[in-house]
Amino acid sequence: MAISDTGSRRMRRAAPRIPFGGWPEAGRATGRAAISAGWWCASLGLLVGFWELAWAVGWANPILLPPPHIFLADLTDQFRYFDPTGGRAGAMGEGGSVWSVLGVVGWTTMRVTVGLVLGFVLSLFVGVAIRYFDVVGKLTLPLVTILAPISPVAWIPVAVFLFGIGNAPAIFLVFVAIFFVMTLSTLTQIDQVPKEYIQLARTVGASKRQIYRHVILPAILPGLFVTLRMNLFAAWMVVLIAEAVGVGSGLGQVTMMARNTFNASLVFFTMTLIGLTGFLFDKAFGLIQRKVLWWVGPSNVGGL
Amino acid sequence: MTLGLSISNVSKTFSPAGREPVHALRDVSIEVALGEFVVLLGPSGCGKSTLLFMVAGLESTTGGAIAFDGLEVRAPGPERSLIFQEASLFPWLTVRENVGFGLSIRRVPPGERARRVDELLRRVGLAGAGDRHPSELSGGMRQRAALARALAMDPEVLLMDEPFAALDIQTRARMQDHLLEMWSSTRASVLLVTHSVEEALALADRIVVFTARPGRIKAEIPITAPRPRDPYAPEMVELAKHCSMLLREEVEKSFKEQELL
Repeated sequence: MAISDTGSRRMRRAAPRIPFGGWPEAGRATGRAAISAGWWCASLGLLVGFWELAWAVGWANPILLPPPHIFLADLTDQFRYFDPTGGRAGAMGEGGSVWSVLGVVGWTTMRVTVGLVLGFVLSLFVGVAIRYFDVVGKLTLPLVTILAPISPVAWIPVAVFLFGIGNAPAIFLVFVAIFFVMTLSTLTQIDQVPKEYIQLARTVGASKRQIYRHVILPAILPGLFVTLRMNLFAAWMVVLIAEAVGVGSGLGQVTMMARNTFNASLVFFTMTLIGLTGFLFDKAFGLIQRKVLWWVGPSNVGGL
Repeated sequence: MTLGLSISNVSKTFSPAGREPVHALRDVSIEVALGEFVVLLGPSGCGKSTLLFMVAGLESTTGGAIAFDGLEVRAPGPERSLIFQEASLFPWLTVRENVGFGLSIRRVPPGERARRVDELLRRVGLAGAGDRHPSELSGGMRQRAALARALAMDPEVLLMDEPFAALDIQTRARMQDHLLEMWSSTRASVLLVTHSVEEALALADRIVVFTARPGRIKAEIPITAPRPRDPYAPEMVELAKHCSMLLREEVEKSFKEQELL
């Protein structure tokens, strides 16, 4: 009888990192954080340095590729293009403060978050239902498999036909971008639950419902969170496209407007905002993941 | 009606679609009396684990019958507790929650559940580890938690599938002693699968030696020596030689078969 040992492998913690020497016990964590921050600065500095150098020697045309010291110079001028109300199309000249910028970032983040939560919850429900009810599986699985490879970009017209202009199409596109992948991932995760877990539950007399609720659900969550986190960036890309074409507000709309008005500084400023927001979003997600999945070692959580 | 576990003329054939059927077991009959410790010894792949899973009610037989206290086994039941090769504790539950898992599935009220779990943890020597997670335990501690979880169901027979195979030799010997202590303080019978002659001799009232596939009973060896047993006592050395010889014949047979394939 071949018994897989995935179960125990999952239980095992990853080897602890070799502690960094040279600091007293208390200062060690701070020291590590400082080192890490140092490398971050160095990494960013590399890009900025090359760019500024290219500008200084005249390779980069400041109109087309303005280096950071130019596009970050006149922030209040850039802020003018951010309309904090977020609900209206083609806004210009309504903003003007940091708050309007944060408002725009907030709207985009809200769309990503709502789309992700909806996609995660529904894909979990659908995935579990496919495995739990035979008929649901036979009816739904072919559909999911056929719809999964369709790019979210192809869904843009559908989103606009269905929901018009506004928040809904953007949320819908984020949802589409992760729903099918996550549903298929849920199925894979369910199929990979160690056989022993289920046999064990059966020997103590657990019903099918109890097995799904108390064994399969907690067993698949870590893997699902990893898949979700890998799809975070895809969700971010999709929301920007959706905002550019179908919403008329948010970071995507600002980028599109900057392109249309040939405002290279604004393009790069918005790109900086997008990168920063995406990074913070992923960090926040990592924190939540660690809280929810406390039993999985930190380095087994995946992602950054 | 016979009390205890009765396995009569059980066979098992796996018939994977589009391939030759595999005969895992043929005409196996074993009676396990109440409180008896029976060890199934055989080469890898001889179907002894399959037999254990059939007794647990997790696999169906393709011939013969398995009965417990005169009632035919068709599904898992609380009177038969299974312990796996590796502990397979749920990593998302604490040790205490793992041990109490079966009780909570059977809706034992929290107060009584906590009382029973604490008692069991004390008995297996994990009283201080109840709030830890399985990933924080050593292999031996995990198997003790698994033992406590199995005992929580008040089983009449413990089914153990090479429970100590993944442990190092010292831990293994310690766990065998521990199992014997637990066993003598319950009235449960034990049906334990192993491929280690030493383990079989240290534990069993009776050793059932299996042939290579298809698994049949090759010999039954009762051991009357009182426990704890000295493996270097002359009569134990004799038994060890005898068992090793029986086992070696079968291992060679299965090797030859594999070479033919």
